[in-house]
Amino acid sequence: MLKIKEGSVVHWAVRVACVLAIAIFIVYIPTHSETARIGQFASAFTLIIAAMSLNLVLGYTGQISIGHSAFFGIGGYTAAILIRDHGWSPGYTFYAAAIIAFIVGCLIAMPVLRIRGAYLALVTLAVAVLFPTLLRWKKLEWLTSGAKGIDSVKYDKLPVWPFLGELKGRDGRAVFAYWLGLLVLVIAFLICRGLIKSRVGRSLIAIRDNETAAAVMGVNVTRTKVLIFGISASLCALAGVLSTLSTGVVTPDGQYVTLLGSIIFLLIMVVGGAGTLSGPIIGGLVYVWLDNTTRGIGTDSRGVVGFIFGWTNQSPATLILGLALIVIMLFAPTGLVGLFRKLSRRIVTIEPQGQ
Amino acid sequence: MSLLQTTGLRASYGQVDVLLGIDIEVNQGEMVVILGANGAGKTTTMRAVSGTIPRSGSIVFDGHEIVTQNAESIVRLGIAHVPQGRGTFSDLTVEENLRIGAYIRKDSVESDIERWFETFPRLGERKSQKAGSLSGGEQQMLAIARALMSRPRLLLCDEPSLGLAPLVTQELFGVLKSLNQQEGLSVLLVEQNANLALKIANKVYLLETGQVVASGDAESIAGDERIRRAYLGG
Repeated sequence: MLKIKEGSVVHWAVRVACVLAIAIFIVYIPTHSETARIGQFASAFTLIIAAMSLNLVLGYTGQISIGHSAFFGIGGYTAAILIRDHGWSPGYTFYAAAIIAFIVGCLIAMPVLRIRGAYLALVTLAVAVLFPTLLRWKKLEWLTSGAKGIDSVKYDKLPVWPFLGELKGRDGRAVFAYWLGLLVLVIAFLICRGLIKSRVGRSLIAIRDNETAAAVMGVNVTRTKVLIFGISASLCALAGVLSTLSTGVVTPDGQYVTLLGSIIFLLIMVVGGAGTLSGPIIGGLVYVWLDNTTRGIGTDSRGVVGFIFGWTNQSPATLILGLALIVIMLFAPTGLVGLFRKLSRRIVTIEPQGQ
Repeated sequence: MSLLQTTGLRASYGQVDVLLGIDIEVNQGEMVVILGANGAGKTTTMRAVSGTIPRSGSIVFDGHEIVTQNAESIVRLGIAHVPQGRGTFSDLTVEENLRIGAYIRKDSVESDIERWFETFPRLGERKSQKAGSLSGGEQQMLAIARALMSRPRLLLCDEPSLGLAPLVTQELFGVLKSLNQQEGLSVLLVEQNANLALKIANKVYLLETGQVVASGDAESIAGDERIRRAYLGG
């Protein structure tokens, strides 16, 4: 087994190599891939941000929320409405969406976070179910355009970034969505990292581990929970804005605006590794990859797949995706990040300094 | 001087009344022990003082009425609670546990951390380990050190000996005793192990079904034949 001292030359070399590899990968995708692949990465970035936001509440603070699809929707609709009706420049809609979602998040959290466990799950589930209904409500049609949603949200007023070149047509939109998604992802990651590594982060984990003990340490449990729920809601809204800007469409049936969205965010977080900073990133990439790979498998499949799934009249994609996720959870109950840590510990250990 | 004074302290869990009016006094620099059988209300008394359960009556700490205050404000006034079953944060490292113990402080805590690592060398050796990986005794030491990080004037210690080997318990009581006698830290201790507790206590309260049935200095309680037979197994 290899041993590396923390802060030694080798340790730094490994770190630099990792960062370089990621950087090359990030630049390679939008410059050398086909449009569809670039779009997949852009949507992965969006999902990762949503899963990161859920991770703050569920992974670190231990408060389950199945209502995050509503915050995603709030972000998406805020952007669409402000751009369509009020002629806002898309960039500013991020701020507006974050503020609105923060306020709504805190308002929901205040009464809701006093309850726990399965009850909290049920109430947030109700929020997720209620939200699309609210969007279709006749009396709100002037704002939300009802069931048909808001489409062709323009993106042509975007600031021109010279290093990206002319962003035109379908390709341009995909490349733009990729870079914008990446930018917001990096910002969201830095926000989460800053929170977790600070005094606030310790108090979140303390609340998750033992709420009473956290309270006798002087942590204001209710206030902390409400605030982190608000922050989480506004991060999730950023993902919603991204989705609207990159697709140009937002409807009440949109995958991530409905209950299904909440479940997908939850899945990504758990598959990647709840309560870890990199978990949602790994989870999001794996999920989008699996989702797109399994989608290609139709009912006309031959061979093993056709033999196993021949009895279904529909595409077995969702079924295979589900099975794949179950297999991952069996082998990596603490998420892929947990599995990676366990395996890498067998090959190499980083020794802390001063021991 | 009276540091903590409860008068007619009552508390209940739902319909069940657990404390039926408790009067307890802890003076500055004293080590006070609450004895009693299971279900007498010892832990509930501690929780009532630290503000983690609803309660009524009067609790005066250092001139402040704290019966209406929440747990967070009570820590700020200078009461630290080592909960029963330790309540260490298993997913945080030993050092992070200590840091969160100083959550209410705005000044530098490095010297305090160093200090408790000197008092409890085994914690120092394991400072970057997750608290969940420590032994029971180490976790109890961590829970006490963590509580002391807030620099309290009163330490509430709820059954620190629970589930610990006799030798570890003795070591722990040694630390509590020296904190009390050398640093003048006031301690309110709940303990099942009466023989051990009486050795280090100044004053004793005996609880039975939510009421104080006897109190006095440690020697007189230890010498009382009736109490000896009922609680000390001798």
